[in-house]
Amino acid sequence: MDDYDTIYGSDRGPQITIKEADSRHAQIVLSNCDLAFANALRRIMLAEIPTIAIDIVEIQTNTSVIPDEFLCHRLGMVPLDSTNIDDKLIYTRDCFCDQYCERCSVTLSLHARCTGEDNVTVYARDLVIAEGAQLGSPVINDPEGQGTIICKLRKGQELRLKCIAKKGIAKEHAKWAPTAAVGFEYDPWNKLRHIDYWYEEDAKEEWPKSKYADWEEPPIEGEPFNYDAVPSRFYLDIESAGSLPPDEILQQGIKYLQEKLAAVIETFSNKNEAGDGFGDGVRSPGQDYAMGGMGGGGAGYETPYQGGRTPFGGAGLAAPPSTGGQLMGGHKCVAAVVVG
Amino acid sequence: MDSQVEDILGGMEEDDGELTTDEGLSDIRIMTLPGEEEGSASFEIIGEDHTLGNALRYIIMKNPEVEFCGYSIPHPSEDKMNIRIQIYSEYWEHTRPYDALMKGLDDLADLCDHITHAFKEARDSFVDPGDSGEQR
Repeated sequence: MDDYDTIYGSDRGPQITIKEADSRHAQIVLSNCDLAFANALRRIMLAEIPTIAIDIVEIQTNTSVIPDEFLCHRLGMVPLDSTNIDDKLIYTRDCFCDQYCERCSVTLSLHARCTGEDNVTVYARDLVIAEGAQLGSPVINDPEGQGTIICKLRKGQELRLKCIAKKGIAKEHAKWAPTAAVGFEYDPWNKLRHIDYWYEEDAKEEWPKSKYADWEEPPIEGEPFNYDAVPSRFYLDIESAGSLPPDEILQQGIKYLQEKLAAVIETFSNKNEAGDGFGDGVRSPGQDYAMGGMGGGGAGYETPYQGGRTPFGGAGLAAPPSTGGQLMGGHKCVAAVVVG
Repeated sequence: MDSQVEDILGGMEEDDGELTTDEGLSDIRIMTLPGEEEGSASFEIIGEDHTLGNALRYIIMKNPEVEFCGYSIPHPSEDKMNIRIQIYSEYWEHTRPYDALMKGLDDLADLCDHITHAFKEARDSFVDPGDSGEQR
């Protein structure tokens, strides 16, 4: 904690107060903190916490009115239970298996057919998770216990498919986002004038008061503007998508921010041990930028990740685009066999 | 098309093999940019963005020995983040830009530890005013 005192003065550094919390959302106040850090935390919680989501769908039968791609996309969006995912599942790209296995994926199957006169609605609860899976069951929060609607079937229509859920982060695809939204607000009275309110006649009359306004002192009439003031209290509203509880989202957020730091520190120290600082990484000027930042060599039109690779590994490698076909929203379909 | 993709990937795997002869991360994620001088340097970190960039910039600027620190994402479709550090000349003897960067990373990690601690404390002492049955 010594570092903290030198950075933040003699007070005790950032403080957290929980305003409101339940199993789906949490409102917290992060005070005595700086904007850069609070924003880093927000960004991490939005995009870099791993969860599990359906990534590959093998369709055996789909005689519903919804096309395969559409259905795959809907399935990908179903939130799956991801609590303590770090202890239970690894990324497919880190796994030794060829395509997927129980160490890096969870299999869910769905079989539904409408036989009666009335239409049948297929819900997330109808996804049957493979035996022995430690996580990945569909999140069901509604009082009826049905989960999200996947599809509706008319008489004679059938759905038979196998879903492979994998670990991933929202930076790659939004279906892996643990949060539905992260509310982020500071300075409810706009004392810092970071917001320029649009108004007809009077901004004070026309704009509603912030819901956090009661947590801070209102400005005194005629108070001079403080040019040195910086935001220091942040109101975060973490709204879970269901895959993780809000308290785990926050803790995982901090953990992954630290992991980022650790990764940089590690490369950094390895390099310094090699002797000449980062000398080995120095490029001659212009080598990389000569092509207008498009990267040297290659056919000239490939992406920086080469051949459909995402920055997070070759999700699409096992099934090259021509055989697998990339479905809407990044879902890869290995075998989309439509019978009927 | 497929064979082309495979060729590229095959080549990459071989390269990776050469890089991962010993332990540590296989990919070069950080390098010094050309134009380094005594007391000032720019670094390029691959795979990082504003999430780390701004927080790191802020924490490095808090270091009293640092004269300037700024970061930039040179191009939105390149997965790179550049960070520039300049040290006040009176500290050149014992502080290099690398040291300031390292200290920045360490300080940020300490900050994270503190936040974790503060959050756990707040969570454990939280009592839901609306519903006394559920305590998280």
